[in-house]
Amino acid sequence: MTPLAHYLILSGILFSIGLAGVLIRKNIIVVFMCLEMMLSAANISLVAFSRAQGTEGVPVYDPQVLSLFVVAVAAAEVAIGLALIVAMFRARKSVESTAITTLKD
Amino acid sequence: MIQNLPWLFLLLPLAVAAINWLCFSKCACCAAALSILSALGTFGLCVAYLAGMMPAAAPDIYTWMPIATEGMPSLSLGLLMDPLAMRMMLVVTGIGLLVHIFSVGYMKGDASNKSRYFAGLSIFMFSMTMIVMADNLAMTFIGWEMVGFSSYLLIGHWFNKESAADAAKKAFITNRVGDFGFLIGILLTMAVFGTLTFSEMGVATAGIPAAVLTATVLCLFCGAVGKSAQFPLHVWLPDAMEGPTPVSALIHAATMVAAGVYMLVRLQVSMGEAAFTDTACTVIASVGAITAVLAALMAVQQDDIKRVLAYSTLSQLGYMVMAVGLLAGEAAMFHLYTHAWFKALLFLGAGAIIVGCHHEQDIWKMGGLGKKMPITTVCFLMGTMALIAIPGFSGFFSKELILDAALAKSPVFFWVGAGVAALTTFYMARLCLITFLGTARAHGAEHASEKSFTMSMPLIILAVMAVISGYGFVADALVPFEGFHAHGFELGLPFYVSMGSLVLGLALAWLIYGCGKRSKDPLAGNAISTALRERLYIDKFYDKGLIGLLQDCGTRIIEFIDTTIIRGICVQGTSWLIGRFGILLSWIQGGSLRAYSLVIGIGVLFIMFILAFTFHSL
Amino acid sequence: MEAAISSILFYLFATVAVLSAFGVVASRNPVNSAMCMAVSFASTAAILFCMGAQFLGIVQIIVYAGAILVLFLFVVMMLDVKSEERNLSNLPRAIIGVVIAGVFAGMVTKAALLLPDATAGKCPVKALCCTDYDATPDTTVAEGELSGGALPELAQDNADVKSLGETLFSQYNIPFVILSFALLAGTVGAVALGRKIRKD
Repeated sequence: MTPLAHYLILSGILFSIGLAGVLIRKNIIVVFMCLEMMLSAANISLVAFSRAQGTEGVPVYDPQVLSLFVVAVAAAEVAIGLALIVAMFRARKSVESTAITTLKD
Repeated sequence: MIQNLPWLFLLLPLAVAAINWLCFSKCACCAAALSILSALGTFGLCVAYLAGMMPAAAPDIYTWMPIATEGMPSLSLGLLMDPLAMRMMLVVTGIGLLVHIFSVGYMKGDASNKSRYFAGLSIFMFSMTMIVMADNLAMTFIGWEMVGFSSYLLIGHWFNKESAADAAKKAFITNRVGDFGFLIGILLTMAVFGTLTFSEMGVATAGIPAAVLTATVLCLFCGAVGKSAQFPLHVWLPDAMEGPTPVSALIHAATMVAAGVYMLVRLQVSMGEAAFTDTACTVIASVGAITAVLAALMAVQQDDIKRVLAYSTLSQLGYMVMAVGLLAGEAAMFHLYTHAWFKALLFLGAGAIIVGCHHEQDIWKMGGLGKKMPITTVCFLMGTMALIAIPGFSGFFSKELILDAALAKSPVFFWVGAGVAALTTFYMARLCLITFLGTARAHGAEHASEKSFTMSMPLIILAVMAVISGYGFVADALVPFEGFHAHGFELGLPFYVSMGSLVLGLALAWLIYGCGKRSKDPLAGNAISTALRERLYIDKFYDKGLIGLLQDCGTRIIEFIDTTIIRGICVQGTSWLIGRFGILLSWIQGGSLRAYSLVIGIGVLFIMFILAFTFHSL
Repeated sequence: MEAAISSILFYLFATVAVLSAFGVVASRNPVNSAMCMAVSFASTAAILFCMGAQFLGIVQIIVYAGAILVLFLFVVMMLDVKSEERNLSNLPRAIIGVVIAGVFAGMVTKAALLLPDATAGKCPVKALCCTDYDATPDTTVAEGELSGGALPELAQDNADVKSLGETLFSQYNIPFVILSFALLAGTVGAVALGRKIRKD
């Protein structure tokens, strides 16, 4: 019997690693991967809550639906994001996040 | 209702000034007519009161500022109707009326805005009335400032001319210097006497220390020094001749400049002669005497006809102030009254000459006017004879009275007075010889002629007054002093001395300026003459030394405030601070994706903290 | 016994997930990162299975490990991204990132432990494995009514999928439709971005 807190902690740790990756890595593709990881880490929390709130072993399904939505949004995001990365690579011949400084001008 | 009729003295000119200013700025004729009517109205009212046709009125006193506390009276607005005020009013309104009429002729053909001019005259009449009829010093001060203001307006009437604008400023600012002292004096009066109302002042001067009294009187005298153009502050009056000549006659000869003397006499009457301590009297008399001598000396070498008269006015005012200092208020007011008539006459005569000679003011470009402008010449000569105190003319009586008083108090002032009389005779004789005799020296004078009746009529009336106003039957009724009684004519040292100075002055003038054949001044060219022409360098000293120094200091201070405090700290400092802050903030907007992600990370921490811990504990 | 196995499996997969996540962040080569991420996603899916969310677990594998990861790999290969060089200039930033992430993890842990019944409370996976779950003996009518007869259904096959589907298509129908528009927009956007930009 694993308590709820452990699921949440696992979720938090995965999320933190993703956050660290976003902050540290320069390669924008890896940054993007880390973002996906953060999303999936959130899914663990949602499912854990879904179970914990359930009665008589029947989970509450609303968090799971939300989690499904997260997955769908992640898929759409990846489609757009990777297209952006490709476009950026075409324009700058680089996938380093340090190369993106156009906002300054 | 009827007892409040005297308020018309104030309201009539004020209303006319307002109407002229606001409604008739395009209609000069209406403005002139209205102003003359108002002057006529006040003059008529004044005559009616003096002749006893109106019941003796005690106009209501209005509380202006109800601040009455312990030892602090309320400020009120009230009118004094005693002989000193009412007879002074007669002089003011009488000469005012004549000047109004003369102005119509004088200003004919002048391009400037004449309704502004008449509005200025009306507002001057209002303020002068305020000074004369004020029943307390606060009200006097209001009028005091108002005459300064109207004088500023009228001197600067031709404000397009730079010298006129400068002269207006000079007059106003110089007066302010004196008014500063006057204001202090008023406050001292309030503190010392506990009241500003003239009728309540005479109660207790015994218990007050002499030094305090002296300070009070001398501070009040400062106001007179400014307004009556006494020695240290006399510089504005000759420059004020830049204004139209009728204005010079009314304001800078007959009435406003005499206000200082009037105010001093009024104080002397109200406070009692005991309030005028020996020190104060000596200072006042000395200032008067110095002014009289200096101004008479400067007048000797002036070429501008109006300036000669201006210095002559200064000199005569010095006489009056000297008389006040000698505690001879009666003599001072007598001289003020005769002087007002004949000096107004001289100025109006000069105005007629100037207009006749096509706005030429230099006496060396005149000459031979005696034949071309007979009425003006005769009237002018009447005025001159009154001024140089030929026996039988009004000036003679009043000057004798002053010399009598001087001899009784202090021989020094007597001999000063005699010397000034000789100088007066000399410069006036010079003026007349050059102007009226000989032949015309310039084109303007060759075609000189009498211009209009509105200019001759006031001259004739004034000439009559200049002759007869000194005789007892007129003077007893009209001299603005309570219980004035003209003294009988008596032979004595003053008479002989003044006759001597008269003859001396005339003889010298005749010798030097002969029968008007010369075309330039034989005395000119040497150092003394230059010094006199340069007004003994007093103006230069003020301009360069005093004002330059003050302005330098002021500039330094302003520069410091401007560059260091305002520009340096307030403006540039603020912009520097904001700039730095902006640079700090611009790091956030650096456009670097990594910097953004860092900020987002920190933000996530904050949100997490708030969500997880702050709400949890609730 | 089952509970113990369940716990062991959870901790095992959790460890794998965390380690492979480290691998994603730490490896220099993006291809390695992608591979580590695949492992991480797979273990996440396993944990979801453990919690009885079979459908979500499958979705996790299909969408994340299948579609998304392949996309990533495809882009990495296509762009021929070089592996990053480790240099010292990146160190301060790495430290800052680690500190922020560490603080975040600490805060999440603390918050999780602060939850009521977080450690001692209900087991999330009781429906599957908790035999030691003390179902209150009085299975009264009231309790049965409260459950709404869900228990018998749970025993059926695909009970989880069925329940999730019911919730999704009844209660969350409109958001679901909106989400489909989001996906459509994503597709169109990706096509639009990937189009060759004409220079004229």
